Amino acid sequence: MTRKTAVVICPGRGTYTKTELGYLGRHFADKALLASFDAIRTGLGQDTLTALDGAPAYSVARHTRGDNASGLIYACTLGDFHAIDAGKIDVVAVTGNSMGWYSTLACGGALSAGAGFEVVNTMGTLMQQSLIGGQVLYPFVGEDWSPDAAQRANLLTLAAKINSRPGHVLTLSIDLGGMLVLAGNEDGLKAFEASVPPLQGRFPLRLANHAGFHSALQAPVAAEGRARLAPTLFGQPKLPMIDGRGTIWWPGATDTQRLWDYTLGHQVTEPYDFTAAIRIAAREFAPDLFIITGPGTTLGGAVAQSLILANWRNMRSKADFQTQQQSAPLLASMGMDDQRATVI
Amino acid sequence: MDRADIVHDNFLRRVAARDLPTGEAPSGPLSPADAVAAYRAGCLTRALDRTSRAMQKAGQGFYTIGSSGHEGLAAVALALRPTDMAFLHYRDAAFQIARAGQVDGQSIAWDMLLSFAASSEDPISGGRHKVLGSRALNIPPQTSTIASHLPKAVGAAYAIGAARRHRPEHQELPDDAIVYCSFGDASANHSTAQGAFNTAGWTSYQSIPLPLLFVCEDNGIGISTKTPKGWIAAGFQNRPGLKYFHCDGLDIFDTYRVATEAADYVRTRKKPAFLHVKTIRLYGHAGADVPTTYLPREEVEAEEANDPLLHSVRLLAEAGALDPSEALAIYNDTAARVARVAAEAVKRPRLKTAAEVMAALIPPKRACKPTNGPTPEARAAAFGGDMKQMAEPQIMSRIINWALTDLMLTHPEVVMMGEDVGRKGGVYGVTQKLQARFGQDRMIDTLLDEQSILGLAIGMAQNGFVPMPEIQFLAYLHNAEDQLRGEAATLPFFSNGQYTNPMVLRIAGLGYQKGFGGHFHNDNSVAVIRDIPGVILACPSNGADAARMLRECVRLAREEQRVVVFLEPIALYPMRDLHGDKDGGWMTRYPDPSEVIGLGEVGQHGDGTDLAIVTYGNGCYLSRQAEKRLAEDGVKARIIDVRWLSPLPDDALVAAVAGCKRILIVDECRRTGGPAEGLMALFTERTEVPLARVTSEDSFIATGPAYAATMPSADSVYSAAKALIGGGK
Repeated sequence: MTRKTAVVICPGRGTYTKTELGYLGRHFADKALLASFDAIRTGLGQDTLTALDGAPAYSVARHTRGDNASGLIYACTLGDFHAIDAGKIDVVAVTGNSMGWYSTLACGGALSAGAGFEVVNTMGTLMQQSLIGGQVLYPFVGEDWSPDAAQRANLLTLAAKINSRPGHVLTLSIDLGGMLVLAGNEDGLKAFEASVPPLQGRFPLRLANHAGFHSALQAPVAAEGRARLAPTLFGQPKLPMIDGRGTIWWPGATDTQRLWDYTLGHQVTEPYDFTAAIRIAAREFAPDLFIITGPGTTLGGAVAQSLILANWRNMRSKADFQTQQQSAPLLASMGMDDQRATVI
Repeated sequence: MDRADIVHDNFLRRVAARDLPTGEAPSGPLSPADAVAAYRAGCLTRALDRTSRAMQKAGQGFYTIGSSGHEGLAAVALALRPTDMAFLHYRDAAFQIARAGQVDGQSIAWDMLLSFAASSEDPISGGRHKVLGSRALNIPPQTSTIASHLPKAVGAAYAIGAARRHRPEHQELPDDAIVYCSFGDASANHSTAQGAFNTAGWTSYQSIPLPLLFVCEDNGIGISTKTPKGWIAAGFQNRPGLKYFHCDGLDIFDTYRVATEAADYVRTRKKPAFLHVKTIRLYGHAGADVPTTYLPREEVEAEEANDPLLHSVRLLAEAGALDPSEALAIYNDTAARVARVAAEAVKRPRLKTAAEVMAALIPPKRACKPTNGPTPEARAAAFGGDMKQMAEPQIMSRIINWALTDLMLTHPEVVMMGEDVGRKGGVYGVTQKLQARFGQDRMIDTLLDEQSILGLAIGMAQNGFVPMPEIQFLAYLHNAEDQLRGEAATLPFFSNGQYTNPMVLRIAGLGYQKGFGGHFHNDNSVAVIRDIPGVILACPSNGADAARMLRECVRLAREEQRVVVFLEPIALYPMRDLHGDKDGGWMTRYPDPSEVIGLGEVGQHGDGTDLAIVTYGNGCYLSRQAEKRLAEDGVKARIIDVRWLSPLPDDALVAAVAGCKRILIVDECRRTGGPAEGLMALFTERTEVPLARVTSEDSFIATGPAYAATMPSADSVYSAAKALIGGGK
């Protein structure tokens, strides 16, 4: 049987939710590796991932904190990545959303599993300690996912206007398929929420325990991260990695100092273009399949919307995507058991 | 067996067997990561070349000229900055791929495959042509016209220094950029290329900044004709003003080292350099060219044995950057990746209709900062004593001079260049005082080479200037016409409007200089301008019109990014009288700078309906003389001044002759190819009115007493009008 080519996509914050409780216990095969993560956290006085994952009940306050969620999500991602059956699947590139970039570095081999954990746990902890600003999510496509460039531009214009008000900060944080994630301070976020009509019963959606990631607000976090995490942690990737600008880091051709610089610089303080990452993944790797690792199942929509925005395989709407998905699945979400089964 | 397959098989077999060609050990500043980046770019180049052939066989691809053998140019790209504008040789896929790695978010494989597939989504040409080029990568697309991109590279390099002195609003290039221009060893012989080398040297010899890196990719053969051994080195080692560098293009380490030195020299010294890169050509000239039909097989095989990718595999291993097995994996993974991407790219849409193809002939408009024009004080200072004369009627040459003065005052990005335009003020005095008013760097006295003049204009336009080059005489345009036809006019077309080179090209031309000059100073053919798609040709008949039209031409260039030719009838420059001595009938007052004649707006004298005389330039003057006699005969005529010879203002012309019983076309250009042909066709198609034409003969212009013998005269216009009125069609 011919192996399917795949680009693996690592999810970001907010993907370890109530339904993911116990995910590591169910899926993380390398117990020694998990123990090593736990040992590091114990040494830092943090709850172990095993304890968090095995908690009797999910707690928003506890599980979505940056210093807990980042490590959990990273471990779930890495476990899923290792679970992919190389006999079935030929992984040709890795990418991720937001914090998923740290996971990408580990899946791609530029960071060892341990170094990746150090980076993600450090940055998650720094984010939690600082917790500067917040994020709000708002769509610019309708429920049929048809691209609406004008609406996107309108929202960005609105954000720029709010950002120009005294005391207000509001900038693009993530281009997330058919949605925009905006980062800002409380005044900026509130002003935005007051300016846009409610949509689909959920939006504008404030993301609990999220800081204003990927914005200038995080400059102190970036500086601290650079002080704590040495460039020597970073090595040549084994797989091509696509970052939050759509730039590809190729095995052998990666300047590891620049990779460190991007990861703890631009990536932290400038907008993250997940849409571009998926567009480049499609156009430069044309995989049979996009595999979204766990935890969670929420990134699939953004991936599909990104592919629609890139007009990949002529898809122009949710219906087109669903037709494609039914005839020859383009997306496999490892957070869904049936789809997971097709890749492990 | 296709040579591409042979080279491919050789690579797989020899790398697996570690049977690699020998050569120098890797040395120099190329880092292991960048060395792998260069190798990866080479592998992608090779995969694209092979895929392009497969696509063509499948009827899905339309271009097979490859870059195989020239993969070393990737190392040259890495020695430059992505903000260094690059005018590329058509074998420079590796350069573009390597540069794409320097700029975030690029999808270079996808982009190039869309180009091979002629998809309308090809991001550079929109599916119009397979060209190398990218807006994001600062690579304007080049056509295949051999070496015709060299003169504009000289111009663009000059524009870097010029922009430091006068900031154009639409400046593209950073002050510390250099311009890169590559070509093959065969095309280095082209007269256009030689002109550009000469101009670069001439400029540098005078210590005028010219940060330009010429790169000659010497694969030793042009299609089937070999370059004499040592010819390029012999020809370029000792040229004045042009420093020579040489590297082995099969060795990415050597190439990077020398290219870095050359680029540093150019960047820091602001002087041009010539980098001679030894390459090989694999697979012949293009897909249909089989090199073994004109070269001994042993020779072809010896070239193939020196495959630069094999050299790279050896060098990377010796440098400890990559194991040969890893190198082989990269080669194979890249090929598989390109095959997958190609399978998707060929499904993308293609252009279908004429309207789709033509959509990029005319570039998009661009926003320009509004200007209130110069202050009265600035005008007074610039014009000096001329101000007093503005209230009086003046000859056309003086009025054009004043219009140019106002335009240069209003738009600091306007620069003029040409033979004798500065110090002398033009051979007819049209640009007198302008150098004193605006300086030597805005009134550039060029060397005697029309291709270089137009190249300077095109290149400066690409850095945001609005050039107004001057060709001294219409007949002199012809040795440089390709710069207009093949380069300036096509740039928006091949870049889907993303690159433009707006300009107003002033040309002194047409006949009727009394006894002076003969053909080469009285040329009366505009056919080569009129048939260039997208180019506007304007021709005024009097001073006031000239000023108003020139303002519109500069607006068209500046705001609408158009290429405009402004043809000035030399014989009318000094014309004072119309009907009799000292009647001053052909002089006009200088129109207020706010007055403009819009594109396509025709002129009209009289409103008679017995006869419409449709003409332009000198024809207007002659027709006015004839019209006086016709009026004395009781014929009520009108004279329509076409003004805009291309595109013809069809609707305005048809409207202007409405109600007229006869149409007489007076065309001072030749009967064959002159505007009269288009006018006759227009009125035949759009009206039922009897018409006739008076044109020049299909002859060159004589000097001496017969200077006007072959051209229309007031008498011949009068006679033709009488015949038309008397005899019908």
